[in-house]
Amino acid sequence: MLQFFNDNFGRYLVEQSGDPVADARRALSSGHRMKKPGIPQRIASGWAVVRPGTSTMQFQLAAEGIAYSTQTRYEAFLAELDNWDRTPRMFIEFAKRPVPVDNLFRTFDLRQVRICSPTGVETFDFTKPPEKDGCKTHKVLWKLKTGGK
Amino acid sequence: MDKIKVTAHLLAPVVTGGGYMTLDGLLAALLFDDLQDVDAAHAAIPIRQTDGLHHASAAIMEASRERISFIAALRPGHSIDPDLIQKNKHGQLHRKFDTSLTNVLNSYALLTAPTVTWYAEGDADHIERLISPVQFIGKRRASGFGRVARWQVEPDDLDGIEGPFGEPLRPVPVGMFKGDTSHPIVDAAWRPAYWNPIHRTACYAPV
Repeated sequence: MLQFFNDNFGRYLVEQSGDPVADARRALSSGHRMKKPGIPQRIASGWAVVRPGTSTMQFQLAAEGIAYSTQTRYEAFLAELDNWDRTPRMFIEFAKRPVPVDNLFRTFDLRQVRICSPTGVETFDFTKPPEKDGCKTHKVLWKLKTGGK
Repeated sequence: MDKIKVTAHLLAPVVTGGGYMTLDGLLAALLFDDLQDVDAAHAAIPIRQTDGLHHASAAIMEASRERISFIAALRPGHSIDPDLIQKNKHGQLHRKFDTSLTNVLNSYALLTAPTVTWYAEGDADHIERLISPVQFIGKRRASGFGRVARWQVEPDDLDGIEGPFGEPLRPVPVGMFKGDTSHPIVDAAWRPAYWNPIHRTACYAPV
């Protein structure tokens, strides 16, 4: 699982030491050179979709090998789920606090979508509408998908 | 090795931070308390293994589910005199150097059910010896959650991996699962230590 993260995302941010946990942790918590001039910064906002091949993220780093997008997290996640090709994805939401490695999970199936964030992991079935007490991301994505119904 | 059903009759709801709470994980934790060695504890789990996969199901509960939060009052653990530390631009201590108590709100799932059941294949007598002294399971045990009234170990037909309809009873790596593959694939730890993300792989797992 961490191999997937490091191979498709982390290796573009930090040198790989062979310890997948330490490498993933450094990618998520250390400073990286930004596209704009200035001091290196930790990924402290935005989102990433890690996929086999080229991953996409919002935070504008200088790192090559990653695609950058200005979409909102919900637009990006919905586009990915709407064009599901049955290969694994890792949906990550960044915030001020680093995302713990323990919160990284891949999504293999629309019935078990997992959104990884610093505060935990949201899991939902995107083939069905959200329950009343369902998670926020499921509700927002479903509303976007169905045009606000 | 015996095929068994293990039942914990509960007196209080179980608090969990997620995960599958497999019987081998529970036994590994009990053995670790005694042995204080992770590898030795894992090697001593009295459950049948096939290529590293324990024949022990996840916890099965027909439970009502709600969220519960607890406030933990944390004191940053350092001994530096705050007067010696450079202040922030407002002339105050940087938050991480503040020695006052910090309250952290932790949220968990609270499962209310009369029983928790596991299916497994292993040494029934040894398993019963390990679990019979256990009075609490899950998180927040010191607060009285997950209190067990009694344990019951009885013979059964299931092997702890596949249910009667071919459904996964525990996380099973995709290449090792011989049951109903219409179930969703998830990223899950398939062997102890279940907290270690290194052990996560694509699995069929109970929903």
